[in-house]
Amino acid sequence: MILAAENLTHIYQRGTVFEKKALDGITMSVPKGAFAGVIGHTGSGKSTLIQHFNALLEPTSGKVWLDGEDLFAADKKKRKRLREKVGLVFQYPEHQLFETTVQKDIAFGPQNMGLSSDEVSRRVAEALEWVGLPKEAAQLSPFELSGGQKRRAAIAGVLAMKPEVLILDEPTAGLDPRGKNEILGQIKKMHESAGNTVILVSHGMDDVARLADIIFVMNNGRIEFSGSPAEVFREADKLAKIGLAVPQVYLLLRELIKRGADLPQNIFTAEAAAQAIKKLYEH
Amino acid sequence: MFKAEQIYFEYTQTAEEDSAPANYVALNGVDAEIQKGEFVAVVGRNGSGKSTFAKHLNALLSPTSGTLWVNGAATSKEENIWQVRKSTGMVFQNPDNQIIASVVEEDVAFGPENLGVEPGEIRRRVDGSLAAVRMADFAKAAPHILSGGQKQRVAIAGVLAMRPDCIVFDEATAMLDPLGRSEVLETVAALNGEGITIILITHFMEEVVIANRVFVMNEGVIEMDGSPREIFGQSKKLRELGLDVPHMTALAHELADLGVPVSRGVLTVGEMLFELTAALKL
Ligand SMILES: Nc1ncnc2c1ncn2[C@@H]1O[C@H](COP(=O)(O)OP(=O)(O)OP(=O)(O)O)[C@@H](O)[C@H]1O
Ligand SMILES: Nc1ncnc2c1ncn2[C@@H]1O[C@H](COP(=O)(O)OP(=O)(O)OP(=O)(O)O)[C@@H](O)[C@H]1O
Ligand SMILES: [Mg+2]
Ligand SMILES: [Mg+2]
Repeated sequence: MILAAENLTHIYQRGTVFEKKALDGITMSVPKGAFAGVIGHTGSGKSTLIQHFNALLEPTSGKVWLDGEDLFAADKKKRKRLREKVGLVFQYPEHQLFETTVQKDIAFGPQNMGLSSDEVSRRVAEALEWVGLPKEAAQLSPFELSGGQKRRAAIAGVLAMKPEVLILDEPTAGLDPRGKNEILGQIKKMHESAGNTVILVSHGMDDVARLADIIFVMNNGRIEFSGSPAEVFREADKLAKIGLAVPQVYLLLRELIKRGADLPQNIFTAEAAAQAIKKLYEH
Repeated sequence: MFKAEQIYFEYTQTAEEDSAPANYVALNGVDAEIQKGEFVAVVGRNGSGKSTFAKHLNALLSPTSGTLWVNGAATSKEENIWQVRKSTGMVFQNPDNQIIASVVEEDVAFGPENLGVEPGEIRRRVDGSLAAVRMADFAKAAPHILSGGQKQRVAIAGVLAMRPDCIVFDEATAMLDPLGRSEVLETVAALNGEGITIILITHFMEEVVIANRVFVMNEGVIEMDGSPREIFGQSKKLRELGLDVPHMTALAHELADLGVPVSRGVLTVGEMLFELTAALKL
């Protein structure tokens, strides 16, 4: 287990009229090297949960385990070291970008890791390429970028650190289709070659189904259920009740199977679906 | 409703402290005409100029050169700005940034109050707008208890209370869960049904399908203009422009390439189901 939450509860603005129990006794664990998806309705607690994983938020009660250590019991120095294992891309890039240029923003993390300035420049150039930002963009202020360009810059800053645990909160919101495919592809490639752990929070059911090997479904501050994509999307009715849906390809196959087609249900990409349908057609 | 004639817009980019400011041409000669009651989806790669164009439609920005007329009034003329702002409302991406009051109905009343509308009329507008987005039951609620989709619908109600002719949605569904997204899209379609002009900026090709007309922007110009079926018929060109076709259209192409007889023009799950029921003799 690289990451785990144990009976984790978080209450915002305790004792005021705005008091809100955003996490309600969450227990979950993410195996080392997993690609985990987190889905859930707006306000279900996804962002609150993951902000505990790099100690941006402290539990009201309960524990967070990071690489075998109790994150919030650790002394300051140790906690800092633990936090460095985790790279978090925020849901809103504006909350993450603060330097005067994109270049400085991406360099910030690698510099803090104590890398040489040559290595920092190399990482910045590499990260810009991964997210599809042109070299000229590096000299701009983050505030002079379009929405999707800001998102790319924010992702680049975290990828440049090559964190052991990469957490992405709605990373594709605002990306154009090609950017989304390329960046998710890059993340998958890094995951496969480096064996890092990835946690992807997303409203995009198709992406989560295609990429994740374990999915956590949140509802009202709790983990409603979890499992492989096949196990989770089998619960289509449950998902619909809590504001979610199944991927389009999955839905299509389900309807075809209902009409008597002899097709497998657990397919999450157009390519695989096309192959299965072709086989049936030729049969 | 809108007529854009050769509009250009330049931002001044001044990032590096010591370098001279440079101009960046974000709109590079946009020509367009949009009739009242149309539903136009706007797509285009990141940085292609969609948000910049949208901000011209309600005079948040004014062209560096060229002219944009809103209901016949040029937005570059100071004396028209008030009228233009009233006629076109905007809804943005982040549901948490758009609601300011601590009670839903007060938030919706905010716009008309600023316009100096008299109290009785404000009441009617607030009730009518909340009903139109199916949020009347939440009139007295605190916004922080709402879901993202509900917050976006309150934001839409706030715009409606200004009695606009047009609403521009700049990626208004980007942060919503599947249910919230479909609620907002249903609301958008219903408003269009009542004659409100809709401009929907989105990166979701599935959403584009419900529009009557699509603009594809690229490098500051409108590169393609047509119905969703016409536009998605040109998948190669779309991919060159950083875009894609809806999932089901992609699947239709895969199937057709593999020799399964389905139309490449399929856009939705429903249409695909129809094609495959026939092809597979189900
Ligand atoms: N600073 C805060 N003060 C009070 N309540 C808060 C605060 N931040 C979040 N909340 C509330 O906590 C709950 C969980 O919020 P969170 O942002 O974790 O949800 P989420 O699942 O990430 O939603 P989304 O899909 O919209 O990003 C929501 O009801 C939210 O309104
Ligand atoms: N405030 C600004 N100052 C300087 N340049 C800007 C500013 N806002 C946008 N730009 C530049 O103008 C171009 C167009 O930006 P715009 O926001 O219109 O794009 P967009 O099509 O909405 O992109 P996205 O899909 O990422 O939202 C971009 O290249 C961007 O760098
Ligand atoms: Mg969130
Ligand atoms: Mg934009």
